Amino acid sequence: MNTAQSHSRASGNPGSTNNHWIPACAGMTRLTRSRLVVVDVIAYVVLAFGIGLATAVTLAGVVLLLAQEAQAAEFMPMRPAQAQQGTLLLKSEGSTLAVPAVATDAEIRVSGIVARAVVRQTYRNPYDAWFEGIYVFPLPENAAVDHLRMKIGERVIEGDIQKRQAARAQYEQAKSSGQRAALVEQERPNMFTTSVANIPPRGEITVEIEYQQTLRHDSGSVSLRFPMVVGPRYIPGTPSEGRGHGWSPNTDQVPDAARITPPVLNPDKHAPTNPVRLKVVLDAGVPLARVDSPYHPIVMRETDGGSRIVELAAGEVPANKDFELTWTPAAGHVPQAALFTEQRGDKHYALLMVLPPAKEVAAARLPREVIFVIDTSGSMSGSSLAQAKEALALAVSRLAEQDTFNVIEFNSYAKALYGDARPASAANRESAVRWVRRLQSQGGTEMALALNLALNGRENPGRVRQVVFLTDGAVGNEDGLFKLIQDKLGDSRLFTVGIGSAPNSHFMSKAAQSGRGTYTYIGKVEEVKEKMGALFAKLESPVLKGIEIAWPAGSLAEAWPKRVPDLYLGEPIVVSAALEKMAGELRITGLRGDAAWQATLPLGEMRAGKGMGVLWARAKIASLIDSLRDGAKEEEVRDAVVEIALAHHLVSKYTSLVAVDKTPLRPADAALKSGAVPTNLPEGWEFDKVFGELPQGATDSRWHLLAGLLTLLLAAGLFLTARRRSVVLWGVK
Amino acid sequence: MSPPFPLTLPAPRRGEGKHSGEEWPLGVECAWPATMHAAPAQAVVRGKARRWQLWLATALLTIGLWQLGQGGYIQAKAWLAQVLIKQAWSRTLEGEAQARPWPWADTWPVARIAVPGRDIERFVLAGANGRTIAFGPGHVFGTPLPGESGNSVIGAHRDTHFAFLRELRQGEEIVVQKSAAGIRRYRVEHSEIVDKSETRVMGQVPGESRLTLVTCYPFDALRAGGPLRYVVTAKAI
Repeated sequence: MNTAQSHSRASGNPGSTNNHWIPACAGMTRLTRSRLVVVDVIAYVVLAFGIGLATAVTLAGVVLLLAQEAQAAEFMPMRPAQAQQGTLLLKSEGSTLAVPAVATDAEIRVSGIVARAVVRQTYRNPYDAWFEGIYVFPLPENAAVDHLRMKIGERVIEGDIQKRQAARAQYEQAKSSGQRAALVEQERPNMFTTSVANIPPRGEITVEIEYQQTLRHDSGSVSLRFPMVVGPRYIPGTPSEGRGHGWSPNTDQVPDAARITPPVLNPDKHAPTNPVRLKVVLDAGVPLARVDSPYHPIVMRETDGGSRIVELAAGEVPANKDFELTWTPAAGHVPQAALFTEQRGDKHYALLMVLPPAKEVAAARLPREVIFVIDTSGSMSGSSLAQAKEALALAVSRLAEQDTFNVIEFNSYAKALYGDARPASAANRESAVRWVRRLQSQGGTEMALALNLALNGRENPGRVRQVVFLTDGAVGNEDGLFKLIQDKLGDSRLFTVGIGSAPNSHFMSKAAQSGRGTYTYIGKVEEVKEKMGALFAKLESPVLKGIEIAWPAGSLAEAWPKRVPDLYLGEPIVVSAALEKMAGELRITGLRGDAAWQATLPLGEMRAGKGMGVLWARAKIASLIDSLRDGAKEEEVRDAVVEIALAHHLVSKYTSLVAVDKTPLRPADAALKSGAVPTNLPEGWEFDKVFGELPQGATDSRWHLLAGLLTLLLAAGLFLTARRRSVVLWGVK
Repeated sequence: MSPPFPLTLPAPRRGEGKHSGEEWPLGVECAWPATMHAAPAQAVVRGKARRWQLWLATALLTIGLWQLGQGGYIQAKAWLAQVLIKQAWSRTLEGEAQARPWPWADTWPVARIAVPGRDIERFVLAGANGRTIAFGPGHVFGTPLPGESGNSVIGAHRDTHFAFLRELRQGEEIVVQKSAAGIRRYRVEHSEIVDKSETRVMGQVPGESRLTLVTCYPFDALRAGGPLRYVVTAKAI
């Protein structure tokens, strides 16, 4: 107790009233002071020695144990590192290092809501061997690919449209006989493969692909998306026979898995590859209020003709995320209706866009049941999951008290927050947001489990049931999922939110179409508020449904899609038609809430547009493929698609473009090597989380225990020396 | 500033100086007024140093106890969780699907593994992320469930549930139970030390059913997060 008191005094503030330490110390002789210092020094030395000794002993013990462990490990027969590595990934990574590189140069011309693009892929072979390059790449999901050109030096070889097998056979024939050849095949509506055979040693071949697309007009702005990379897809199902250039074997659920899983470079080990240059010539047709490129910095200049030329500020970027360009017409210039026509032979092709007015309709607000589904698979790891969580938290907190809701997360399993939807009370909303914030991503993307949980096929007119599905869509079994959505939809509506830097646009749009909802994209956290806000506005406004288009009598119009989907707030009607005669007036009718809406449009007031026939054919093919889900016979659909695709020179599921150089170049005795061009991992994704890594199997508990012991030892030492000093002080007396 | 050593020593209180001064012999000995301005700078420094020393000691004491608690908590959690998971497992055997060991759990037992020769029993949870394997060995998503055909991969901590892996020897038997009736026996084939990126050990070998147990290596490393993994492969008998 005394010691303690002396301490407290000794450490008193000199400026305070109880400064008794001054007389105490002042009373000491020079001798005692120096003795004090000596004792202090000795104490410190002893302490330091003690701690040092303890540390050394501990570390020695650790080293000893480690050494012993090494022996223990060798106790068992070790398997030598296998020569041929069994891992899908390592195999593909190994073979990727020696394949031609691809540089892409895209030029996109926009006029109104239609874009035509030329994509130039240059295959450079830096090796002394002859090569075949196989490149899997994305295009917009509604791209109508109608041209292929192979450029060798100054020579240009035009590609032919053929049935898929015939084109493949012609290509293989040319490949084995040493001719240079290029083949473009469709894997998914938004995923294509270019194969280029017989690239000479240290030579190059340029392949030029052209496509046309209709742009998305939504809530007053138009957007152009140019995807650059196919994100690695999760392949569900049981492996079956058949391996290709992909990292996945084919499975019963994804019979072409090997074709859609190009090797992926680990960004931690390799520099980004596949450079892309991009130029957009933007002729919107109306004065613009703003032009945005949310994911890539751009430079823009205006031409004398009033169009804008947009290029990447960086000049060249790695193909690792979608490019998006969005423009908003100046106030009062948003077109309410547009009709583009093209005459080919005696047929007229028309693209019709009508924007129904966003009138306020007093509709009885039915209670809503909102089911949120969030993808927490490995591919969502990193920035995607952060975006999805943010969006979901915002969505949950926006629910009204009378709504009910549930949250489902899925990866290799699917699980719901609640057994059944619960009222969106403040307490429930808060606990749901907490639950969402704790979600982690790992494992596969078993989307069917989540859809089965979210869609129950039930009908209940007393409420509006909406399913909001947040995912990157990185799956290979899209068709099976669309069918599942269609079959189990009931009176629910499905809305997809495409998350991340390279979402699967085919999945987003078709899943939403099958679910009779709509879709949006979120590519960065900063967009969450705006994009989700727009989605909520759609969820909360009455839809325009029962849309019928009456073409003028005698025009013999064949319009696609046959049934115009329900339209959400801010969405236009977009229909392609082939007509015998362009005259008269077309009438559109629909129902928003309980209010009827109708519009008429004279066919005379049209603008000439290029490639409307191609767009019509593309729309027809899409509708034919959709009919497969309604039970149409595959052979009939195939025949119909082949007929229309051949007529319009279009790449489809059943037709490919092939270009062959007549002159054989590769000597018969020179071997041809082949390899799939590796792709980048989409920006923000985590390689280990996508392709898996061995689980981490250690805790820091020993470290904590050791650190704790050492720290306690140190603390004890300090207390002791502090005590010792006081004793010295006492001793001075 | 608050008193420097609140845990062990009473703080000086205002107004008590005189009283306590009487108990301090040195104070009596000194000629108070004369030395008023002669306080040696050294003493000030030493007073401050001591004060800081006690501060430091207190801080270190707190940190030390906290670290010990942390280390102990990890071990206690690992042990206690298995007790709760065991109960969830018996509910699973009675037919409950995804039986949560505790109400807010985001995982559930999928299998029981045992090494009869060593009296070891562990309950395997769904998922092998960090949060799950704090409580028990975790089944890696995307590989077949333990006891199914194919290569089932299970990960756990080397210093808790899978500490026994270092003792496992070739030929030892591992029993896996996936349901009330579904029991499968495996025999340890070999072990190896690999880098964490070597996912080939998780690959499927056609026509072969195996159990792959993964933990961190070296076993006695102090800290988590190293790149090496100790992998034990057992083949179905």
